[in-house]
Amino acid sequence: MSEAETITVVMRALADPTRRAVFERIANSDEITVVELTRGSNVTQGAISQHLKSLKQAGLVSERPEGRNVYYRAQRGGLEPLADWMDHYRVFWRERFTDLRDLLKEIDHE
Amino acid sequence: MNEKLRPQTQAIVLDEVFPHAPEVIWKALTTGDLISRWLMPPKGFDPVIGNRFTFQTNPSGEWDGVIRCEVLEVLPNERFSFAWRGGHDSNEGYGSKLETVVTFSLSKAGDGTRLHLVHSGFMLPMNDTAYRNMSDGWKKVVTRLDTVVAEETSSQTLH
Repeated sequence: MSEAETITVVMRALADPTRRAVFERIANSDEITVVELTRGSNVTQGAISQHLKSLKQAGLVSERPEGRNVYYRAQRGGLEPLADWMDHYRVFWRERFTDLRDLLKEIDHE
Repeated sequence: MNEKLRPQTQAIVLDEVFPHAPEVIWKALTTGDLISRWLMPPKGFDPVIGNRFTFQTNPSGEWDGVIRCEVLEVLPNERFSFAWRGGHDSNEGYGSKLETVVTFSLSKAGDGTRLHLVHSGFMLPMNDTAYRNMSDGWKKVVTRLDTVVAEETSSQTLH
């Protein structure tokens, strides 16, 4: 998936107000179950599960099954594709410097 | 907000010491084949003032992803600077209009060389951080999202 496509997927996942509210609640808690998410909302557990599926596909949440429960948490870096130019280049240059360091080691031995 | 009243620019600064002679680093910074190996493959690169070259990156919206560069300063083993332009007015955040300058400065540091990078000219708020972390960036992301969604809906339905 290209960067632009990734952005679109994340944007789409968050475009739905209910789904965005679900994501915000997950992001604001350490871990949360479907039951807990349903309790604080006006929609059915089935609907919440559907939203969780979309959020998972967009790389925004991850799940951890434990016993009969599944715990959801916000995926670290899930919103990364929405980062701006400066964040993009901060990461970019740091990585490029690492590559430069490796390259210099190689060419200095040639 | 102040930054909305007058345009401001921000820079990314990186400073690292490499255990190599300035000449070796200079070669890596200013040779097309070597630039390909640590940065990106440049097209049409020549380390001469006024030279124009490009890098192909990921497109976004109406921007073709091409970074258009122009060599601004060539001071062997000391300083190498070029313009780094890209983006499009219709984009926000990643892919927004970019008019920046990349400058590498080299100086002695013990047995090695200090490499100082400045990528300057990021405009506020246009290229500013819409998202930094969950706590302070979320509001901005949501605002931007609303704009995108509003644009998508208005192009589909009229009311």
